[in-house]
Amino acid sequence: MEILRVENLSFRYPGAPREALRKIDLAVGAGEFILLCGPSGCGKTTLLRLLKKELSPVGEKSGEIFFEGMEQKTLSEPGDIGFVRQDPESQIVTDKVWHELAFGLENMGLPQGVIRRRVGETASFFGLQGLFRQRTDTLSGGQKQLLNLASVLVMQPKLLLLDEPTGQLDPIAASEFLSTLQKLNRELGLTVLLAEHCLEEVFPMADRVLVLEDGALLAEGEPREIGPALSEIRRDHPMLRALPSAVRIQLSLGGEGVCPLTVREGRDFLERNFPDAREEEDKEKDEGKPTPSEDGEVAAEMKNVFFRYERDGEDVLRGLSLSVKSGEILCLLGGNGAGKSTALNLFAGLERAYRGKVLVGGKPVSSYRGGSLYRGNLALLPQNPQTVFVASTVRGDLAEMLQTMNFTKEEEKKRLEEISRSMGIDRLLDRHPYDLSGGEMQKCALAKALLSEPKLLLLDEPTKGLDAFAKEELRALLVSLKEKGMTAVLVTHDAAFAAEVADRCAFLFDGEILSVDSPRNFFSENSFYTTAANRMARGILRRAVTCEQVISGCRRAVEKRGKSERFSDNGGFAPQETEEREASKAYGGEGGSE
Amino acid sequence: MKKRCGVFILFLLIPAVTLGGTLLFPARQYAWISLCVALLSCLPFFLTFERGEGAPARLILLSSLTALSVLGRIVFTPLPGFKPVTATVVLVALTFGGEAGFLTGSLSALISNFWFGQGPWTPFQMFSWGMVGWLAGRLSFPLKKSRILLSLYGAFAGVLYSAVMDVWTVLWADGAFNLSRYGAALLSALSFTALYAVSNVIFLLALGKPVGGILERVKVKCGL
Amino acid sequence: MRGNAGRENAFSRLHPAVLMTFFLSELLLTVFLPHPVLQAEALVGGLLFCLLLWGGEFLRELGFYLPLFVLVALTNPLFSHNGVTPLFFLNGNPVTWEALLYGIFLAVSVTGVLFWCKAYSRVMTSDKFLYLFGKVAPRLSLVLSVALRFLPAYLAQSKRVERAQKGVGLYAGESFTDRIKNRLRVFVAMVSWSTENAMEVSASMKGRGYGKKGRTNFSLFKFTSADGVFLALILSLTALTLCGAAAGMKNFAFYPRVSRVELSPVSFAACLSFGLQSLLPALWEGKERILWKYYVSKI
Repeated sequence: MEILRVENLSFRYPGAPREALRKIDLAVGAGEFILLCGPSGCGKTTLLRLLKKELSPVGEKSGEIFFEGMEQKTLSEPGDIGFVRQDPESQIVTDKVWHELAFGLENMGLPQGVIRRRVGETASFFGLQGLFRQRTDTLSGGQKQLLNLASVLVMQPKLLLLDEPTGQLDPIAASEFLSTLQKLNRELGLTVLLAEHCLEEVFPMADRVLVLEDGALLAEGEPREIGPALSEIRRDHPMLRALPSAVRIQLSLGGEGVCPLTVREGRDFLERNFPDAREEEDKEKDEGKPTPSEDGEVAAEMKNVFFRYERDGEDVLRGLSLSVKSGEILCLLGGNGAGKSTALNLFAGLERAYRGKVLVGGKPVSSYRGGSLYRGNLALLPQNPQTVFVASTVRGDLAEMLQTMNFTKEEEKKRLEEISRSMGIDRLLDRHPYDLSGGEMQKCALAKALLSEPKLLLLDEPTKGLDAFAKEELRALLVSLKEKGMTAVLVTHDAAFAAEVADRCAFLFDGEILSVDSPRNFFSENSFYTTAANRMARGILRRAVTCEQVISGCRRAVEKRGKSERFSDNGGFAPQETEEREASKAYGGEGGSE
Repeated sequence: MKKRCGVFILFLLIPAVTLGGTLLFPARQYAWISLCVALLSCLPFFLTFERGEGAPARLILLSSLTALSVLGRIVFTPLPGFKPVTATVVLVALTFGGEAGFLTGSLSALISNFWFGQGPWTPFQMFSWGMVGWLAGRLSFPLKKSRILLSLYGAFAGVLYSAVMDVWTVLWADGAFNLSRYGAALLSALSFTALYAVSNVIFLLALGKPVGGILERVKVKCGL
Repeated sequence: MRGNAGRENAFSRLHPAVLMTFFLSELLLTVFLPHPVLQAEALVGGLLFCLLLWGGEFLRELGFYLPLFVLVALTNPLFSHNGVTPLFFLNGNPVTWEALLYGIFLAVSVTGVLFWCKAYSRVMTSDKFLYLFGKVAPRLSLVLSVALRFLPAYLAQSKRVERAQKGVGLYAGESFTDRIKNRLRVFVAMVSWSTENAMEVSASMKGRGYGKKGRTNFSLFKFTSADGVFLALILSLTALTLCGAAAGMKNFAFYPRVSRVELSPVSFAACLSFGLQSLLPALWEGKERILWKYYVSKI
């Protein structure tokens, strides 16, 4: 049965030069799990908000929306369509968990007894009974988002709309959230329309995937059809980069046969088609990236550091020792509460160790007086880049920063131009910081931090909430900064990002560093805490940790096969394409019929 | 109807309470009577608000502004007397009108005392901050025009606040209103009064432009 | 005071309506019956209850109340020269025995009320207040409750902003003016952030159907038989005190001469019932603690 139908929907924000949505047609069957993806600014949020009458943005709308066969205008039960947004914090209305759950039901005017029962039932389904009487501000981000989901579901909606609900969560909380969502869909038959940009885990869950680009529907179909469909449109379509590792690897290696979605399917694919890739491993021992030598200059260092937040509290760091070499990008990984952010704050002088030494540029952090630590030495970007902005335009924030540097007017102007050009934020300067997308905001925050000309950049979860495209941009920025001599320490949960950008990775657990190594050694030694690509290729290419490494490993295998068999000389093809053709041949030949 | 209710409270209930109080409880009960009067004078504003229509956005905005002015009181705790509460309330009143000003002021007092401790002084604070906001709303036209007038109003609000709270101090400690005690209280609180006045002026000058601008933007954005 | 809110005590678990009745009755009686015995009873009851609520922590706080007590007690005789029994002369003005006694009486009354207010703040937490208030004034109580929910979030955010600014090197100076400027700047940023946040929250409210007619109020508070017993106790004790006061108690005067405390049966009954009422929370708390010890011993 059809629950939602959208016909020829177009929308334009007031004063906007072009339409945010163009001629969208969409039909959603009851019980379907639909994934909506696309780069940021493609119109995902606009579409979702238009589907919920109460949240419809103001603007020019044309086309029709039907819910259960009724025109949207005539709908009267707000509880029938639930909506969960990205930011866990700003959706909570009341101060107690139980009251938050009851809020929607109170609005529906239900009597006390009914509310009591429904609230209790929902709280136990979502595992919130332990938090039932707690204050909402004491919950973690993941718990808050689960509460938001629960407080929408307590109203028993027929359709659930979610706008990047895991964007602000750490991987474990995100995973828990998504599995709850899947349970709701499978066991309760709830119809789900989910917009996401982090697709690794959610892609296999969906029944159908919609790809939006520039406000129009670009591709639509089952998850397995999306990769091939996108690469059909354009071989290097930017959306391809956002797809799960298995899809990306399979497509790059020819893309024939059934598209694998999960790590398991990806591994089957690789082991069936590239069993001989194993041999290449030794060749890859020499890393592509130069690692700073062990005895390189030290930019910052911690020696046997102990830290706790409260006198009677638990130690957060217990004898942490870590040295950051000049000119490297070091990624700090580890679970929640391992002390990663705390370590950054100690470097930045925002917290003080009660025992041990914290050195920056060879001097103890505490010896920098009157803010001199933040002049030409280091800068820390916090998890939420929003907190970096205090002015009403990006330009205002940058200007304020420059004023503290005692430059002449011309110099200030020059610096502003320089930084905005190098960061690619020229056209964002006069926007309000809060109106920027996650990626844009991150770039502007970075620009602000860079104005003080730090030698050491400390970044706390810089990829949080970023889509694949913005991550790629950030990676390129960091690498180009490194080339100019910048040292960076990143705290991240994003193993794939760390594998691509880091020179060294460190694993923090229980307040100590357990291992520090190059990303290839680091991730290939780990079995849980590693990238999806590595988990997939582990059997044949143990040391390949990024998709690119897996792909090139497999390609080399094919090359070798080609050399030993035959190598026809068709000069008309570019070398890469030849490789891909060979790879596809290999897949077709050995993959058997499926 | 709304108006009549307010008028009823202002002109009937308050005098009745005052008179009844003095008759029923001779001597020293002025403190409590004045407390009731302070509470009652807040009532008309609350009643109009309760009866009025308003989008959820407006309600939440009021909550947010109230929380904000309490935040100001808490953030500046280390500096006694130097608080942005009055300035925030005045700026809210200038943008959103006297009613919003009154509510922000009086609810800030109520809420911040959940933090700092409730007591018989709560109604007085509610009344004083509320009135400062309401008056600013009434005078919004000239106050918006001139920074000098705005500063003057800030200073006046500081003195008013101090004077009202001193009435309470005297009644509370003394039971009856004693002019010489009141004078002594005013005098001993002079440094605080001056601090209130000066800090109000400083905060109004420092916050007036940026905060006023932000509030105007919000007002336009949600069409209030 | 707020930090302790998590540790709930037995008295606090009574129904909000019962608690409100108790505090209103206790405070109003204390305030409107200017009789030294009643005031003393209120003070002792309040003191005991606060001691049970806070324990040793409250003993330390007495260091603040004691000077206040002395201050209030002594300022009256210095300013008021009524009364007929001069103790000594100061600057040519008599300091009288009556004025001193009246000062002590005021001090007892003032500190008594303060103790009860303190206990009130601890027991009548905002959620209870809002539960009672929500039925009378739903819109106002919504504004209040959302503001109370915002406050901790705003405090956390303003701390985050402050640190973020320091981390990129703004306002990192340690001088006094720097710190003030810093706080101001952060405050302005908070105005911007909070209004933005408020719009999001109101969207969430609309999304969950706020604004429809016929909204109900849900709460976890249940009116139990213990609540009934307690309420009946309060009401009957209050009635007894009021009757006694109306029938027997003469106005107690300090000037020109201190009246005597009468020992008529009616006024005795009033004093007794009010004394019992003032001790009720402490007794209730004590009873529950003994019961708890007993139950624990069976585990």
